[in-house]
Amino acid sequence: MTSPADFLRPPRIAAWLINLFAPAEDSASIVGDLLEEYSRCASRSGVAFARRWYWRQTVKSIAHLFACGFRGAPWSTAAAVAGGFLLLRFVSGLPDMLLSAITDRYLAFWSTHFPAYVWVLRAMLPAHFIAITFVGAVVALLAKGREMVATMTLALALCGLIGVALMWVGMHRPIDVVWVLLSCADPFVIVMSGAIIRTRRSAAVTLRSGG
Amino acid sequence: MASRDSLGEFEHIIVLALLRLEDRAYGVTVRQEIELRTHREVSIGAVYATLDRLETKGYVKSHRGDPTPERGGRSKRFFRVTGKGVAAVNRTRAALESMTEGLVLIRSYS
Repeated sequence: MTSPADFLRPPRIAAWLINLFAPAEDSASIVGDLLEEYSRCASRSGVAFARRWYWRQTVKSIAHLFACGFRGAPWSTAAAVAGGFLLLRFVSGLPDMLLSAITDRYLAFWSTHFPAYVWVLRAMLPAHFIAITFVGAVVALLAKGREMVATMTLALALCGLIGVALMWVGMHRPIDVVWVLLSCADPFVIVMSGAIIRTRRSAAVTLRSGG
Repeated sequence: MASRDSLGEFEHIIVLALLRLEDRAYGVTVRQEIELRTHREVSIGAVYATLDRLETKGYVKSHRGDPTPERGGRSKRFFRVTGKGVAAVNRTRAALESMTEGLVLIRSYS
């Protein structure tokens, strides 16, 4: 059953994705244009058809906006991505090094407080993802207005490297599934950090303009 | 070099749509005009990406209209072609006409 409000409410995730990828100055116009056409389409051909149309527009638009975002500022985007890559190399190993140093330093303590030792070991994974989130956020902050283009480019480059590493490892020894899953999570976390920074910036712009 | 100032295929189509629509040209009308005349589905993202590029080149200008309720309180961004844009359309059309002049555009498959 479709409520009358659905005629005016496009798919939320699609609208959010458009907001993420559109340049800040075009975002409101693009979402407004899509909403206007969506309402007309829904009243003429039904909500299901209109929702399909909206999703099709979203997917096609994102591909164009991503390509144009990169072409519009190739050097600054590439610089943000390269900076992110260097930062990733430096930061991603830090939590492991820090927590390993703590466990090595207090070996006598852990022998009497084993649960605390286990807790520190378990903290390594969240600490790693916090570090990756930090890298994604820095890249997004550097690529102002092109947060998603920069973080997605970095994530795609990482995916490429992970793919090469997987092939190389696969040729020499059995692949550790947990290691594969953890490696694949890094690009996803980077893109999510870009999405968070972009969403916060869009909200700040909307607040400033009184929308 | 003149070729640097001529328009790409989609840029050409967009500028022609703006010229047709005159003062009614904004995202929705431009997209619909192109779909109506070329019979191909065009994404709003492609339209805006091209319009932004044309604005950077100085071929089009834009201004914002008033916010409307059917757009969730968002304003329309209207576009119009500048004199430089009209000159670019004329150059591109002249180049196309010159290239197609005297050609028989029917290929036989034997």
